[in-house]
Amino acid sequence: MNALISLLNMVFDVILAPFGHRFASFDLIVWPVLAGVIALLVYKKVSNQKGIAAAKNGIQVHLLEIVLYRDNLAGVLVATANAMKQNALYLGNNIGPMLVMMPPMTAVLVEIVANYAYSPLPVDATPLLEVKMAEGASVKSMDVTLDLPAGLSVDAGPVATPDGMVAWRLKAETAGDYVVTVHAGTEAQQKGLAFGGEPRKIPVLRTNTWESILYPGEDALPSDSAFETIRTHYSDRDLPYFPDGEGGILLWFFGFSLAAGFALKGPLGVEL
Amino acid sequence: MKRLFGLVVLTVALLAHPAHAYIGPGAGFAFAGSFLALIAAFLLAIGTILLWPLTFVWRTIRVGNPFKNAAARRIIVLGLDGMDPGLATKFMQEGKLPNFRKLAEQGVFRTLDTSNPSMSPVAWSTFATGVDASGHGIFDFLTRDPCTYAPLLSSTDIGQATRVVNIGKYIIPLGSPKITLLQRGQAFWKVLGEKHIFSIIQRVPITFPPVKFRGLLLSGMCVPDLRGSQGTFAFFSTQTDAGVPAFTGGEQTVLRRQGNRIRSRIVGPDNGMVRGNPRMILPLTLTIADDKQSVKMEIDGVAEPITLRFETYSPWVTLTFPAAPTVKVSGIARFYLTSIDPEVSLYMTPIHIDPENPAMPISHPSVYAVYLAKKFGSFATLGLAEDTWALNERVIDEKAFYQAAMDICEEREQMFFDAVSRVKTGLVTTVFDTTDRIQHMFYRYLDPTHPANEGKPTGGEYANAIERAYIHMDGVLGKLMTQVGDDENTVVMVISDHGFTNFRRGVNLNSWLRENGYLTLLPGSDTSGDWFEKVDWSKTQAFSLGLTGLFINRKGREQSGIVTEGDEYKRLTHEIARKLEALVDPQTGGRAIRRVEIAPEYFDGPARFDAPDLLVGYEGGYRNSWDCATGSVTRAIFSDNTKSWSGDHCVDPAIVPGVFFCNRAIVTPQPRLIDIPYSILALFGHKPPDYMQGKMIFVGKAGSATTRGLLDPASLPQSGAAPGALVSSTPAWSVDHVTG
Repeated sequence: MNALISLLNMVFDVILAPFGHRFASFDLIVWPVLAGVIALLVYKKVSNQKGIAAAKNGIQVHLLEIVLYRDNLAGVLVATANAMKQNALYLGNNIGPMLVMMPPMTAVLVEIVANYAYSPLPVDATPLLEVKMAEGASVKSMDVTLDLPAGLSVDAGPVATPDGMVAWRLKAETAGDYVVTVHAGTEAQQKGLAFGGEPRKIPVLRTNTWESILYPGEDALPSDSAFETIRTHYSDRDLPYFPDGEGGILLWFFGFSLAAGFALKGPLGVEL
Repeated sequence: MKRLFGLVVLTVALLAHPAHAYIGPGAGFAFAGSFLALIAAFLLAIGTILLWPLTFVWRTIRVGNPFKNAAARRIIVLGLDGMDPGLATKFMQEGKLPNFRKLAEQGVFRTLDTSNPSMSPVAWSTFATGVDASGHGIFDFLTRDPCTYAPLLSSTDIGQATRVVNIGKYIIPLGSPKITLLQRGQAFWKVLGEKHIFSIIQRVPITFPPVKFRGLLLSGMCVPDLRGSQGTFAFFSTQTDAGVPAFTGGEQTVLRRQGNRIRSRIVGPDNGMVRGNPRMILPLTLTIADDKQSVKMEIDGVAEPITLRFETYSPWVTLTFPAAPTVKVSGIARFYLTSIDPEVSLYMTPIHIDPENPAMPISHPSVYAVYLAKKFGSFATLGLAEDTWALNERVIDEKAFYQAAMDICEEREQMFFDAVSRVKTGLVTTVFDTTDRIQHMFYRYLDPTHPANEGKPTGGEYANAIERAYIHMDGVLGKLMTQVGDDENTVVMVISDHGFTNFRRGVNLNSWLRENGYLTLLPGSDTSGDWFEKVDWSKTQAFSLGLTGLFINRKGREQSGIVTEGDEYKRLTHEIARKLEALVDPQTGGRAIRRVEIAPEYFDGPARFDAPDLLVGYEGGYRNSWDCATGSVTRAIFSDNTKSWSGDHCVDPAIVPGVFFCNRAIVTPQPRLIDIPYSILALFGHKPPDYMQGKMIFVGKAGSATTRGLLDPASLPQSGAAPGALVSSTPAWSVDHVTG
């Protein structure tokens, strides 16, 4: 997993944000559009274009039947059922291409989310650092300790709960990227924290589950780690025109890739 | 399997995460579109279901039970244009039409008196409206503009958009051009609709533009092509030896070959959105395969190249012409390679209006054509869909024509049986043109001495094309009868608008009028080109345009009319009629014209003033010559018809009745086409409107039918299989009579 995350970071850290993270709109337009075009070409190659066209056509035929033969109640019900059947066929035809496109598109999306969805923590903030112990971990939550770098101090805590959670409230003296170390027995894991400064890629979560692919800001935890997650909560970054945070990024991505797809499906001869 | 399951689980898991629920435009469109489709289906279905009781109550209050007095709850009219009773009888006797025989034995087979003139636009208008030509105002394909003597399509007027905005070179219309159906009266299916009886009407001639009514309609004959003509084919050829021939009904483009590549262009309609109305064009590239067995065709705007093979039709190709930014006009055409090596010759059908994206209204409601196209694929929409002029001009051969005609027939069958399966109570009427077109173009095979045979094949695979077409339609009827089964509430009729006869000799009435002093050419002119080019109207009393009509140049009606109303008019019409009825063909010594009707005495309908003043009823074997039909004056009055269009029906209506087959017996020995709409209304239990001129030919709910079973061949006025033979004075070229 780490190799994959490293590879993705290596690529995207170079190509994302060529004008810096301040110009979020640039990446939030260029990448969805580019992703849309590439996805369109891939979709054309891997999908059953004839099947999709036939299913769409079938849906339209049965919808028109409902309109044209509306006096025939039984006919309307049959046409409705047939339209739904064609709808299912249409969706079925899209599952294959969806699975093919999912990994690359997810990679692009999560990198954009990591880079643009969150703001660094305000310097005067006292965020929680939350650690969740893995199920069956040999170390108890109350035995977990924390090492802080210079400039970062504990404001409160730790607070351990019986369900395996430990939390510290931290405080930074100045803006900067800090790395804390969490110890459980002989295991030590690091976690980054971003305080103040320019917008940048934010380390939100480290985990030993599949979800780590969605948080490329940091490496995944080892699968045999005593920790399941180490997390800090960040505020959503203000995005122009769309809602903030992950939802906003999704809307940017959805809107622009869809617009690009719609504009280019004709010239590229793709049946969607 | 395990891997697939894992992927599905991963998909579901990702979909559950708000930020990663979307993975690209394909899936985005799919899920959004799918959701919209579901919503649309639900809303339409729920709307229909909720509204149904209301419409039921409304209908009950308004008309009660529409079938309360009905003697039939469903009527299916299978229209076989031009089906001839003589030929039908012959083929039935030979055992080739078992389903027609079965239908006749179950009910009745008789000749069906046609309209006067006996041609499709007139006859089918009579079928639609229940009145004669002076009632519906359609006397021919063409009429003349009384102000200019120029030809006009008699059925439709296509106007321009009245309000436009000019932006640079573009002219943006602020509305649709006005298209008007010139047929008067109302179709009987509209009357049925008012009684809440649903109808599906397919390809009945003279239904363009479609008129609103309670039912579905696909327009037929007189629907123009995308260029606004009644069908203009294109012929692309590298052969330049003979120069560029001027085709009737088509255009030739000379191709220049560069190695195996040829670049040309498809000429589309005039672009009304650009100043000067330039033609819209689409670049076309042909690449000849190394083995010379096929040609790859690439057309701008067509996604995939099309591989054309020798003497094989392409499927319908959608041609999208750019008219203005974001405005496109869509048409469909088929391509046929008539030669590859050494010369490349490519025939393109006229560009039909695309049914899936119609540039003009060709159906009611407009989505009906879209529905048919989506359900069955593109289909021919041009009124005269079978390209008779391409065969006449020998751009294509009999094989290509026959193939196209049967393909169109197959398209029609699909929509016909779809309609039959949809309508459980109500009316289905579909007109098949196959029988008419095949007889027009293959009649010469029945007559070994036909002038049109010269230089053309007279045997081979297509010698029995007419018989094959009849047998094919027998198969269609068989399928229909199987679908209908023994449903006593369904009446099945097979009708034709007219029969057929030979067309060996053309008569130029304009030349005859000139020779007899009724038409005068400008000084120094010996002949006149098309559309009365050199006619001196100030000295012309009469002229002929179209296929049977002769107009008097009437003062107060025509722009330069000289014949006054009253005695002069009456004397002149009688004089011309008498002389024409005595006209003798010097080649045969026989009369060419059987009967001439004087319109004001023959008709009494409201449109009689617009009628040609004289209707010329030819003997079998004769018709207005091709030159006469287009208003030209030639030196000779008679000429041999050498075109492939070798059979016709624009003669005395008495010798070309249509057919009437029905699964119910009737009460009259001699049914007429004009009786059919009247009888359909009456069968459904509704009183036909008073203006209708027909009568009920069925027994209704009580009584007994007196006319049943097969037709007595002795009662046939003439035989379609006996070219030119209709009366006792059989012309010399008669080769085969149908007898009892």
